[in-house]
Amino acid sequence: MAKFLPKIALPKWMGTSYDLVSVWRNVDVVLLIAVFLQSVIGTLTVYSATRQRLINQGFDQYVYVQRQVLFVIVGAVITFIVMAVGHDWIRERAVFWFISTSLLLVLVLVYGAVTRGARLAFDLGPISLQPAELMKVAVLILIAAYTADAAYDKIDYHQFSVSLLILGFPVLLILLQPDLGSATVVVAGVAGVLLMAGAKRRYIALISGLTIVSAVAVALAGVVDRYQLRRIDAFLNQDSTEKDLQQIVLQVRFAKRAVASGGFFGKGYLQGPLTNGAFIPVQFSDFPFSAIGEQFGMIGGFVVLAIFGVILWRLWMISRLARTRFDQLLISGVFSLMLFQIFQNIGMTLGLTPVSGLPLPFISYGGSHLVSSAMMVGLAQSIYMRRLR
Amino acid sequence: MSMQNNESVPKRLLALGIVALVLFGALGTRMWFLQAVGSRDVEEVIGKVRTRTIKLLPERGRIFDSGGRVMADNKRTLVVTIDRDVVRKPAERLALAQRLSGPLNVPVEVLLVRMQDERYGPFESIPLREDVSEEAALFLMERVEDYPGIFVREEWRRNYPYGALAGHVLGYLGAILKGNLAYYKSVGYDPNERVGQYGVEETYETALRGEPGFVRYEVDAVGNILRLIERVEPIAGNDLQLSIDLKVQQFAEQALETQLLVRRRIEAGQVKLPDGTLDPQYAEVNYYKAPAGSVVVMNHNSGRVVAMASYPRFDIRWFGGGLPKDKFSQLFPQTDDPDLSILVNRAISGRYNVGSSFKPLVAYAALNSGQLPEGAKYTFDDRGTYKLQSIPDDRCQQGVKCVFRNSICRATGAPCRYGAVDVEAALAVSSDTFFYKIGEQILTERGYAPVLENEVRQFGLGSPTNIDLPYEYAGTIPSKELKKRLADIGAISQESGKAYYVGDQVLFSIGQGLLSATPIQMAQAYSAIANGGRLYEPRVAVALLAPGTLDARPGFVDFGTTEVVKRLVSIKPSRRINMTTAIREPIVKGMARVITGPGVNFDYYHKTTGENIFRGYDYAKLPIAGKTGTAQGLNNLPWNDSSAFGAFSLDSSQPYTAFAYLEKAGYGSQAAAPVVKCIFSALAGNYRYDEVLPADPLDKASFDVAPTSSLRNPLCLVGGSSDVRE
Repeated sequence: MAKFLPKIALPKWMGTSYDLVSVWRNVDVVLLIAVFLQSVIGTLTVYSATRQRLINQGFDQYVYVQRQVLFVIVGAVITFIVMAVGHDWIRERAVFWFISTSLLLVLVLVYGAVTRGARLAFDLGPISLQPAELMKVAVLILIAAYTADAAYDKIDYHQFSVSLLILGFPVLLILLQPDLGSATVVVAGVAGVLLMAGAKRRYIALISGLTIVSAVAVALAGVVDRYQLRRIDAFLNQDSTEKDLQQIVLQVRFAKRAVASGGFFGKGYLQGPLTNGAFIPVQFSDFPFSAIGEQFGMIGGFVVLAIFGVILWRLWMISRLARTRFDQLLISGVFSLMLFQIFQNIGMTLGLTPVSGLPLPFISYGGSHLVSSAMMVGLAQSIYMRRLR
Repeated sequence: MSMQNNESVPKRLLALGIVALVLFGALGTRMWFLQAVGSRDVEEVIGKVRTRTIKLLPERGRIFDSGGRVMADNKRTLVVTIDRDVVRKPAERLALAQRLSGPLNVPVEVLLVRMQDERYGPFESIPLREDVSEEAALFLMERVEDYPGIFVREEWRRNYPYGALAGHVLGYLGAILKGNLAYYKSVGYDPNERVGQYGVEETYETALRGEPGFVRYEVDAVGNILRLIERVEPIAGNDLQLSIDLKVQQFAEQALETQLLVRRRIEAGQVKLPDGTLDPQYAEVNYYKAPAGSVVVMNHNSGRVVAMASYPRFDIRWFGGGLPKDKFSQLFPQTDDPDLSILVNRAISGRYNVGSSFKPLVAYAALNSGQLPEGAKYTFDDRGTYKLQSIPDDRCQQGVKCVFRNSICRATGAPCRYGAVDVEAALAVSSDTFFYKIGEQILTERGYAPVLENEVRQFGLGSPTNIDLPYEYAGTIPSKELKKRLADIGAISQESGKAYYVGDQVLFSIGQGLLSATPIQMAQAYSAIANGGRLYEPRVAVALLAPGTLDARPGFVDFGTTEVVKRLVSIKPSRRINMTTAIREPIVKGMARVITGPGVNFDYYHKTTGENIFRGYDYAKLPIAGKTGTAQGLNNLPWNDSSAFGAFSLDSSQPYTAFAYLEKAGYGSQAAAPVVKCIFSALAGNYRYDEVLPADPLDKASFDVAPTSSLRNPLCLVGGSSDVRE
């Protein structure tokens, strides 16, 4: 295949043209196809979950899906850029990414647009940017880079503390937004890195404990909006009839019903009454799995789960085959982060986990999370491509 | 740095992989359970949630009298309702109430209360205002965007054009009572529907109601209608034709009420001590209280009730809804005094001692059971008192009551003496001693078997007539079992409840004591005598008609435009009683003599009990036979006497039987007989009925539960009365 590729003169930092072509030969095609399939499913889902409510509101029914297609294309471009520039180049600037994203996180606390009591994103006119999504990647890169320098399996107290600091700063900023969901995802990703890096079990326990303690402390301090706490309350009392919890309880109840009513084969595309009836608030970003379940049934649900399985399996393999310690740690982080986010999002749709505003990777509507997922896929591909070098 | 030589790496990676497998396993399992296991239950719930079903209530069947007068009608009204979803939040509720207050013309506070009415389920819409004008409804419907969740529903409101007329028969609608909720739900009613709660409205509830229809829309979460899924039109309820003739009904109510009002102005007899002076225990002058009464007129060849009046009356329209509680309790006071209770149809629920009007049935029992060997020819020498034969003299001296008397004759101041009387004469002058003797012998000579009880039970006494009206009283017939039951509930003493004595039997034989019956039972029994032994179940309704009977002119329907769906009057009698001419003739003759005379000659001429009052009656035009009865009231005081009278026509072209009962109003011949006399005069065509006119609009400020309804010409009530308390 390589011989059909044109020989192009490339900038120096991209390596020699020969390098590039030979490297591209090693792209993980399975991962690429899986991500592509998931994005297609996501786009279709976003359309089905937004069509009727846009019509009801008198808008163009394609508004969201058009933008989603655009986001997917942007994501694809970003994936290829990351693959092209290579993870080493990115690693060298780990601190820079981290600091600049942190800066964005601070800025969003001041200038962010308020949605449902939280400042999650910059409102940039046609698009909005969620710095927390970028921070997911930045933290993983920095922590992986930092711990990769430590002797294997010998993460000492000092390194662990520094890791915690690196993690703690953005997590605190994210909690202040407040966005409990993103904070836990970041923690999950970092936990994966630290686990792979050889942190002792008690460190892992400590980090988990600290997360819980700080989350509780933040909650008690009143920093976290009561809404976030109600989500947990609603999770523990899924059949509650309490008025405060109604909105969340009903959201989850309808999501569960949507999935359940799909049965084996689903109602058919665009035929889901609960989806069409807009019964589930922000279904297209937070509960896309309910739309899939209702329209495509258990078959569709398992296909989506299976594709996620393939993606995670590839990430796991890439981590296994990684050439350097940084590579391995980074991909472990990506793996953990993705795993947690998928589990959390589908779990809340099925009533297994509390509601959080986490998007379902590759599927949910939204630019920021697609971009950050694309970056992670790009990093994984880059590591895979260059594993033999 | 190479890692291939490090053994622990795969282990940790393996751990991550296992975590992933576990989490995915959890998701997969959960999904399996939701979709494969739970999916069927959920389907139903979703059906409810995503669609919105609005019940279309059918038009209730109308009710007509026998001549096609519309007695119960429906008025179409518009009801504005709101979805519970849009008023769940207090702020939104308030905002909406403020916006709706103007168009609906209801204060904001009232709207807020209605919006939170807990009687309606989460998916039911809540009515905010009934009787909305078309303009207001249009105004709201055109601004759906401004009034989310608002709906205008068409409903039917019951309308009773004649107000109080035949109120006890018609009945009224009301909310479903808690005790009946389960039943009504099981037959497909909504808990907030109004159902018949009295009269034929209750009896024929399910037929009158019809079948509700519905419209089902697909809606989104906000309640916006996306499309119409299904519309099933409601089926109007069956119309109901009554056997009641409002002309006669109105006349009966007027005669009854007029007579009661008259009797209230009459002084009752005085109570004297043995030395002839007045008993100082009581006031010198006592007027009859005459608080209540009833009269039934039925066709004795079919059981159709032509008129059924019960006083006090009430205007059914008070139950139209929206009456404040305190106003309601002022109109219909909760009382333990049976004289005052209004919501009792005394014609079917009155627990009455019927006195001597019961004697024809005892006469029948004696003749039919062969107790009188010579039958009609049997005579008994009535000397004013009767001493029980079955009780030894020594026991009588010990205080057991052995001697029973006739009523006092004013001429002699002593118990009347009628001399030798046969069955016919005994009925005509109402000789008690004759019936005392029959009563005693039919018991003692038959080995104390309940012969009399069984004979009178044939006429339906002691069991409900199964008339098509609710709350019928079954009546009681004296027996050992009855006494025991009464003693058990403490109505009579344990001592008295031990056994059934001859004393009980002789009281029973003149219709006193523990015997109780309703006017409708007595009318049924008299009918059986009148028609030669056929017992018909009385009916106030004739037939269920196909829905949508058309009007011939305002207020009248044309029965030719409908068809009978179900006949409610059976052509066959429910029972045939042995009534040979030998049995029937002396009874009928005796009863005819009550009306026409002659009485008997002994000492002097004794008139029959009805001879005086019926003197002016046009017997030739409509011959009748009847019997008076006076029921002793509390402490046997004169002013507590209740008056009974029953009669039947002897003209087969006018086969009517009437029975009247006026509580605490005097002798049978004084109070009840004139009412029955008036009715037969009218049936004979000797009275020009008042036109039956729709009632005036209900005056909600009034405290009259019903307007007075009196005879235009009360002359028919007038006439001499008997001086015998029979």
